[in-house]
Amino acid sequence: MKYEIHRKRGFLLAAAGAIALVLVGIGGGFVILLSGALSTDATTQHFRLTHRILDAGLRFSVRNSSRSIVAPTLTDPAMVMRGLSCYRQHCVQCHGSPGSAQSDAAKGLLPIPNSLAESAREWPPESLYYITRKGVRMTGMPAWEFRISDEGLWSTTAFLMTLPLLTPERYRQMEDASLSESCPPARDGSTFSTDRADMLLRQYACHSCHRIEGIVGPNSHVGPALSDWSRRRYIAGILPNTPENLVRWIRDPQSVSPTTLMPDLGVDEAHARQMAVYLMALK
Amino acid sequence: MTRLAFVTACMILGACARQDSYQPQVPGGDAQRGRIALRQHECGVCHLIPGIHAARGYVGPPLTTFAMNVYVAGKYPNTPAYLVRWIMDAPALAPETAMPALGVTEAEARDMAAYLYTLE
Repeated sequence: MKYEIHRKRGFLLAAAGAIALVLVGIGGGFVILLSGALSTDATTQHFRLTHRILDAGLRFSVRNSSRSIVAPTLTDPAMVMRGLSCYRQHCVQCHGSPGSAQSDAAKGLLPIPNSLAESAREWPPESLYYITRKGVRMTGMPAWEFRISDEGLWSTTAFLMTLPLLTPERYRQMEDASLSESCPPARDGSTFSTDRADMLLRQYACHSCHRIEGIVGPNSHVGPALSDWSRRRYIAGILPNTPENLVRWIRDPQSVSPTTLMPDLGVDEAHARQMAVYLMALK
Repeated sequence: MTRLAFVTACMILGACARQDSYQPQVPGGDAQRGRIALRQHECGVCHLIPGIHAARGYVGPPLTTFAMNVYVAGKYPNTPAYLVRWIMDAPALAPETAMPALGVTEAEARDMAAYLYTLE
């Protein structure tokens, strides 16, 4: 009986200790955060351990997420050339190419963008495809799935797989030969779902200027808040607020209002329709 | 414990609260007079304006956070000079707009602007 009581007390003490440790940890984290001691500048490097942990996290996450992806045949030369045209248009700025450096903007990034000649040796094509398609959070790597078609993404992967084998001279020859190719843009007629539409609004950077219900962002006051959109009678104080007009406005605001600061964001028509449905549902 | 949670929450919110270093001043504008002028000119028929009873219109955009908005009507920098001109004669700045020229005097427009800049 006495032993029982001791055991119970020991358990309670251990539990209390664990909770206290967690609370101290959270409290300590807040103190560090609020003190401003954490550097957010891109010239201070990560601790080696931090970098290792983040890198390992990326590898496990990508491996897990790309598990069910099956790569098509990636050896077709035409596909490789199409992939090179994507690489030329969208990748060289940050990743460089054999014998050529990345742009100045990319030189200043933390983390520094990988040389993809090495990435192609290290990662399976499914992972390369997945990272290209989905991007990597809190690095400079954007998601390309709303810019490049699925076929284009696989073509890019096909090109990446050849990258470790290219001399600068061979790369230049292929680059010249690829000039007649262009990277196939994303076209998306997929049916509406709220998840998809909020991803679209984010992927066309709407929340860099607008506050939108259901979207976490910089809480910007550059454009008007879209929080109760269905109640608005006019779009931009000009067009009656109907779904058709909204699609028109989203796709080409400056043709409706020459004085507007809202830019043409290159929104695909199917994408604009999904955005309009999302916005029109905001009460 | 609740007190600690409260203090922590305040610290977090305080640390996260936005601090605008740009504070627009309208020369000669009086926010209280502006509030009355906005009501008299029935701006609330088209705009939702906090602090003005019955200003619940949805024809134009809500003016809820006007002081923080970067642009006037998404068209011009949100400075007192542009705002006063916009209030007096919006079509002169953007012929395509549905906002009418209100026929308010410049003094009234300054007062209205002063009130709108109290909305954060």
